[in-house]
Amino acid sequence: MVKLAKKSDSKKTVQELEAPVVDLSVDPETIDKDPHHERPMGRAYPNSRRAMPEKQLFEFAEYHAQDAERIGYSNYSYWKSVWQNFLKKKPAVIMSVVFILLFVFTFIASWIGKYDLSMASNMKNIYKAPSAEYWFGTDGNGLDYWSRCWYATRASILLAVIVSASQVTLGVIIGLVWGYVRALDRFFTELYNLIDNIPTIIYMTLIALMVGKSMVTMGFAMVLFGWLATARNVRNLVFMYRDREYNLASRCLGTGLGRVLFRNIFPYLVSVIILRLALAIPGTIAYETTLSYLGLMSIDKPALGLLLSDARAVFPRAQHLLWFPAAIVSVITITFYLVGNAFSDACDPRNHV
Amino acid sequence: MSSMSFTEMQKLVDFDAYAEKVLSREPLLSAQNVEVTFSLRGRMLKAIRGASLDLYEGETLAIVGESGSGKSVFTKLFVGMLDKNGRITGGEIRYNGMDLTQLSEREWLDIRGKRIAMVTQDPMTSLNPLKTIGWQIQESVELHQGLKGKAAREETYRILEAVGIQDPERRYKQYPHEFSGGMRQRVVIAIAVACRPQILICDEPTTALDVTIQAQILDLIRRLQKEQNMTIIYITHDLGVVANVADRVAVMYAGQIIEVGMANEVFFDPWHPYTWALLSALPQLGVKGEKLPAIDGTPPNLFNKIQGDAFAPRNRHALNIDYLEEPPMYEITATHMAKSWLRDPRAPQLEQPDSIARLREQTGLSKGTDPNAYHPHLDPNRQPLIEARDLQVTFGSGRKKFVAVDHVNFTIYKGETFALVGESGSGKTTIGRAIVRINPVTAGEILLNGKRISDRKIPKELDEELIRSCQMIFQDPMASLNERAKVDYIISEGLHNFHLYADDHDRQDKVARALQEVGLLTEFSSRFPHEFSGGQRQRIGIARALIMEPQFIVADEPISALDVSIRAQVLNLLNDLKKSRGLTYMFIAHDLSVVRFISDRIAVIHKGRIVELAEAEELFLHPLHPYTKALLSAVPNPNPYLERTKKLLVYDPGIHDYSVDKPVWTEIIPDHFVYGNERELDGYREDLRRIDEARQ
Repeated sequence: MVKLAKKSDSKKTVQELEAPVVDLSVDPETIDKDPHHERPMGRAYPNSRRAMPEKQLFEFAEYHAQDAERIGYSNYSYWKSVWQNFLKKKPAVIMSVVFILLFVFTFIASWIGKYDLSMASNMKNIYKAPSAEYWFGTDGNGLDYWSRCWYATRASILLAVIVSASQVTLGVIIGLVWGYVRALDRFFTELYNLIDNIPTIIYMTLIALMVGKSMVTMGFAMVLFGWLATARNVRNLVFMYRDREYNLASRCLGTGLGRVLFRNIFPYLVSVIILRLALAIPGTIAYETTLSYLGLMSIDKPALGLLLSDARAVFPRAQHLLWFPAAIVSVITITFYLVGNAFSDACDPRNHV
Repeated sequence: MSSMSFTEMQKLVDFDAYAEKVLSREPLLSAQNVEVTFSLRGRMLKAIRGASLDLYEGETLAIVGESGSGKSVFTKLFVGMLDKNGRITGGEIRYNGMDLTQLSEREWLDIRGKRIAMVTQDPMTSLNPLKTIGWQIQESVELHQGLKGKAAREETYRILEAVGIQDPERRYKQYPHEFSGGMRQRVVIAIAVACRPQILICDEPTTALDVTIQAQILDLIRRLQKEQNMTIIYITHDLGVVANVADRVAVMYAGQIIEVGMANEVFFDPWHPYTWALLSALPQLGVKGEKLPAIDGTPPNLFNKIQGDAFAPRNRHALNIDYLEEPPMYEITATHMAKSWLRDPRAPQLEQPDSIARLREQTGLSKGTDPNAYHPHLDPNRQPLIEARDLQVTFGSGRKKFVAVDHVNFTIYKGETFALVGESGSGKTTIGRAIVRINPVTAGEILLNGKRISDRKIPKELDEELIRSCQMIFQDPMASLNERAKVDYIISEGLHNFHLYADDHDRQDKVARALQEVGLLTEFSSRFPHEFSGGQRQRIGIARALIMEPQFIVADEPISALDVSIRAQVLNLLNDLKKSRGLTYMFIAHDLSVVRFISDRIAVIHKGRIVELAEAEELFLHPLHPYTKALLSAVPNPNPYLERTKKLLVYDPGIHDYSVDKPVWTEIIPDHFVYGNERELDGYREDLRRIDEARQ
């Protein structure tokens, strides 16, 4: 081996040249007698070693293969981090609380109101401004707008939640199969193109005219055509995961289609699915408004869309008819928009630091 | 070459001269007690724990370490590219009178790329797919050399030629996707050296490349270093690459440099137990039929509490004090230092382990010295388990048709390890997947125990039999486990599918036994995969396959994505399971050196065709096909003397003239098959006759 004259600056990395001095003096108070206490990863009784005399310190230690296998445990959980990150987005959290209160209030409102939905129309009392008697004023039929407004809010939210949840569920199931089963790709793609290329309004009009204008029918119709976007989105995501080695492993193990889809792929899509759900709710409310405007929703049970479309016709004369439902729709839309964005940020693992 | 003695070998490369030359100078760059802390999920974690390193002008320094050792983080500091959640919390890096740890982003612009440049691992991600190759190099030329227009273009041509790219004027206009992996890496190197940096950092520059290409790239970097008088830092986990390129070697573990010295000192006279363990665990140096001296456990991750020497829990030579106090750097020679208490005068006198001594004697690759070695062709009772006949797999159709596997014939006998070796894209994985029915077979057939399993539709019972008897182990332990499922579910997935358990208690029992069998703790079953290191994840993958109690396992490059210290564990495990369960393996690999240690017979595949198939030792001693010879010449050897002087053979498929004389798959001597036409086969027979004569 090389023997070179020692140069003083050629060994800066040497911390000590002579046998280094290690402080081996031990405060007897700090010696931990309990061998099971505070045992860091992979080290046998470090505190008892503290008490060893120097001679023993330089003897070979006992070797435990099992200890080598122990690993630092980060205790990281994906969903816990998602939740913690979500809670950091204050506007979204505040709006969620506001929304929940709003929804709960829709049940209380009709109960504390002076009139209920079943009051008879009174043509002498139309377009009254808000007052102590009629808190939100009256509408074109002389009906109490307070009870109609809150009833409509509840109906709209329920419709939006049920319709969105159904169409996202349907979209996810179809999207998973569409993306994973190669043989069905062509079929679903053609089906998608077929439905997507005809304006939905035309289907809706047809269904409304042929089956009837009830809210249930229209909700059903919305689900029937609303799954498209989710399904396409899910399908494209499945492509990313489909050929990962862990899916090949499942195929080697003979795992069935359903189990592969729901245990191997679905968990990776949950964040996207919740995001879609959050954005589908204001979307459904907006859609319901469009349909009401076109006169495709039933008129006997009010929903927010119907109120808005009625109010628009008489807007300059009876402004209160527009302000109340518009404010409520805004709250719902803004809430889900903020929640959706906050959630998608929180789901991004790059933000989990 | 293998008959050379150690003293003779030492004359091949004059490391002493390097040492004199290097150490007579001031360090060009000097890192002192550098500490880097990352903030991760609200915790402060130390990734670099006081690393010190000097770099001298004109030398090639290799930093060796496993993933998580901090080698990449450490060298990223030299180009000011620390990740945004990391912070330098101590120490200094002196370069040209500056402290690199204190520079502002503006000041970095004058150094990064111009004075200190970097080549990264993956050539695909470091090139812009939307810009031509020429544009990307020229951009660097214009920015750093101040040339414009025609002059810059001329310079770009010159650089392209310098990195060995033929026909630069045509190549100038091409896009990255038109280049192969090795060519792309050449382009990345071209961009890095375009501005004539003083220091070039190569972060695993050849890990993503095939062995034959790897050797060419290393040669290229060496040539450029000489021409431009660069100082080079290699970051790698591959000791073969280190032996090939390094003048000096620094070994990193858990964020510290634990041993540093001239290449010959670190390879032949190492003093840190971790370096001992790393070298002894190399399959290249293993003795067939014996266990490799593996390192237990797994490298510490950032979440480990480290007290004393970080390697202590995995160290069979650990002293009590290793658990308590961090050892200082001890000087062994003027150029060689090790951070181990074993060098303390108070420590017991310990010889280096036998395997290190063996490394000195071992002048070639591992030998099949096992007297009880299984010679498959001498066994009259061998029974075929898997047979492939005229197997063909094609992808796509019409103009896009691509033949991945082309008329391949082989038989795998019960109880043997059959290796399939080839470069990326050779079709080796496709064959493995065709056996477990992931890839459909286009023509030909595959038989399992004499039953045809290659049809598009097979009976349900046969399918179940196939699934239960043939399992697969995958290459990438990061991608082969479902991140969102607990280990318990991952391992028992196969049990669920065929309901192979009495009740839930029985299932958990089986999972626990599988975990123990692969050397993991049973408490791991309730954790998620991301908590584990690559080697542990790979063992979880093996447990998942084992729980089906298969007869046959396709191991698709099971160790190529693993750290050096972990590879031996997995190889030992596979060998143990072979003995205890009578398993048969098909071992797919791209590296012949590993395959020699583990396999009984080896098939070499090139562009979808098996070109040669023989018993392992026969293939290594008497390779016939020119492609096999080229692969063998490129095998990395963890011996700096041999590795630096090895002669590379380059295979040119153009040498075969198959226009008239058609090639056939022939058994040239019992159990040695080769692909060639009559004229070539005559040549091979002549070769064998000469070998025979020489032996007598």
